[in-house]
Amino acid sequence: MMPLVEQEQLTLFGETSRLHNFKMTDTVDMKSQNSDDSDYDESDNMDEDDEDDYCGYYDNDTDDLDIDKPKKSDDPEYFEFDLLHLEDAERLLNEEVEALCSKLKIDPSLAKMLLQVHGWNKESIIERHIIDHGKLLVDSKIKPAVKYKDTCFSNYRTCPVCYLTVQKDQMFSVSCGHQFCKECWDSFFQIQIQQGITTGIECMEKDCNILVPEDFICSALSKPDFRDRYSTRSFTDHIEGHPQLRFCPGPNCSVIVRAKENKAKKVECGQCKTIFCFKCGIDYHAPTDCGTIKKWLTKCADDSETANYISANTKDCPKCHVCIEKTEQCTKCKHDFCWMCLGDWKAHGSEYYECSRYKENPNIANESAHAQAREALKKYLFYFERWENHSKSLELEEQTLLKITSRIQEKVMNNAGTWIDWQYLLDAAALLRKCRYTLQYTYPYAYFMEKGARKQLFEYQQAQLEAEVENLSWKVERAEITDRGDLENQMDVAEKRRQTLLKDFLEI
Amino acid sequence: MQRSGRMKKELEMLSKSPPYGISCWSKDERIDLLQAQILGGEGTPYHNGIFTLEIQIPERYPFEPPKVRFVTPIYHPNIDTGGRICLDTLKMPPKGAWKPCLNISTVLTSIQLLMAEPNPEDPLMADISNEYKYNKTLYVENAKQWTKNHAIEKNVSEENPVKAKSITDTGVKRTQPMCDVTNKKARDS
Repeated sequence: MMPLVEQEQLTLFGETSRLHNFKMTDTVDMKSQNSDDSDYDESDNMDEDDEDDYCGYYDNDTDDLDIDKPKKSDDPEYFEFDLLHLEDAERLLNEEVEALCSKLKIDPSLAKMLLQVHGWNKESIIERHIIDHGKLLVDSKIKPAVKYKDTCFSNYRTCPVCYLTVQKDQMFSVSCGHQFCKECWDSFFQIQIQQGITTGIECMEKDCNILVPEDFICSALSKPDFRDRYSTRSFTDHIEGHPQLRFCPGPNCSVIVRAKENKAKKVECGQCKTIFCFKCGIDYHAPTDCGTIKKWLTKCADDSETANYISANTKDCPKCHVCIEKTEQCTKCKHDFCWMCLGDWKAHGSEYYECSRYKENPNIANESAHAQAREALKKYLFYFERWENHSKSLELEEQTLLKITSRIQEKVMNNAGTWIDWQYLLDAAALLRKCRYTLQYTYPYAYFMEKGARKQLFEYQQAQLEAEVENLSWKVERAEITDRGDLENQMDVAEKRRQTLLKDFLEI
Repeated sequence: MQRSGRMKKELEMLSKSPPYGISCWSKDERIDLLQAQILGGEGTPYHNGIFTLEIQIPERYPFEPPKVRFVTPIYHPNIDTGGRICLDTLKMPPKGAWKPCLNISTVLTSIQLLMAEPNPEDPLMADISNEYKYNKTLYVENAKQWTKNHAIEKNVSEENPVKAKSITDTGVKRTQPMCDVTNKKARDS
């Protein structure tokens, strides 16, 4: 299938062959780079190949913009990761545990605790072990600074939890020396596991924070199903505690992502297609950082009532004042206008900057507290409306995609070109989605930005992207009447704007 | 489970040697519902007040913390109008710090301590907490007024806090008419 497209492009664009060669070598490089990554190459490369095709596809017509093909290292969103199955991740963790066991000559239960407490940083553990092994264990809440001494000579003890008197040999303790009867340990572990606590279970004594090791817990648990729950849940804890691993947040998805660096980068699950941030695990949010997006989402949730009110799905057409839903134009009078500011679309081209930038009251510091509060709400609603608008548009884009697919189907059935000929429409729709997604996440970023030159630059670039995305959206909707070259050019311009904004503002 | 054996011992100890300024007894001979009284400490705005608390013992006690609630209204940054208390030892880990070795006596002692030393950094009542942080005189004034209105019973001897123990249902009713009457009604129905 692929050579067909490439051949076609060869005839369309004079210089494709050179660019194509470039791409080929690039792909080969990628593979050699990855070859040491053992058996996960397949899924990984599949992903990168896609990306490659994408880049190669658009780069074909960058000549007139005189921009060189971006290398992987230039791509602000580039991120290397593997997708692992549960068993693979389990094996990986076990390997790390074993490595530490043999290095420090300790048992696996203890090694696991050390790794979990120290965020699976083996080097740091070994380093501290060499300096002072005893202090490492005390700092890791594995050994007490001072062990509790049992000074009672009787053969009986009172369990401090159930207050029953039992024989001395029926009392058990972990490294701290606090003794409890077997029944109490058992009940205690069961309830802790039900609470979702496994690797963090501490001794039952008040003010004692010594951690209980896995082998002690498993031997005290009387019910086998609790032992199973313990191992499942502690595995989850280990994955969550490991900086290089993350569960895919997709519903019912068991894929685990592994990346060498714990960065706020884009990860797409190969199984459920969920796109998320590797660092925080929520929806991918460039150029906004993890902390800011969290603040923004909390704010949106808190202000949902107002937001619901403001984000109503309809608006009045600025010309005939009929209440319309966002489609393409006013269904009644066919007036084309900007959905955001309701201005005339024809006159809109150069004024985008004014539409996406919030104009703060310059005299606000001197206003009353009441006016300031109103201004703050106004500012929030301004950004929220734009954020919500793109979110809604993204949903609409799904429908556009379906429409395009059925239109292509129709064309092909009527012998108006092959399916391959119309493939670029789907690519355009996919790119539109990608650009709009980034654009949506520029609004929380702008909302929390300090006033100044940097914000001005950001808002300028945001406005540029906004304009190109809307142009692209416009052209995708009318894809059959605009010519292909024009659409492809628009795609490239939009993607370039997106990349520029991310390059300047995505903090890596 | 461990609950009944332990509660029997605990109640015995609470009646034999209760901590200073605290009394606690089983309500209607039940082991899952206790009532307690804490005497407002000297040097605090709750001084001389008798604060009634209700303690529910969950079935999985002592592996789960008891549920403690103020019946007497109290003006405090960490206690809300429903009498709920924000205290880490009253919550299960990982959020809280409950340990099976803690007991009713230690819990009541920590509440007594919380009354003397509020924790404005973890507030349940934001307004009172701000007042405590930025206008302490006003907080003391308000807390004293609330204590006077709700927790001071003229008939109770000021020197002898243990006497509060002998005030059973009727006594409590006098100290805190509104809440206890409603509770009683709810219980009777």
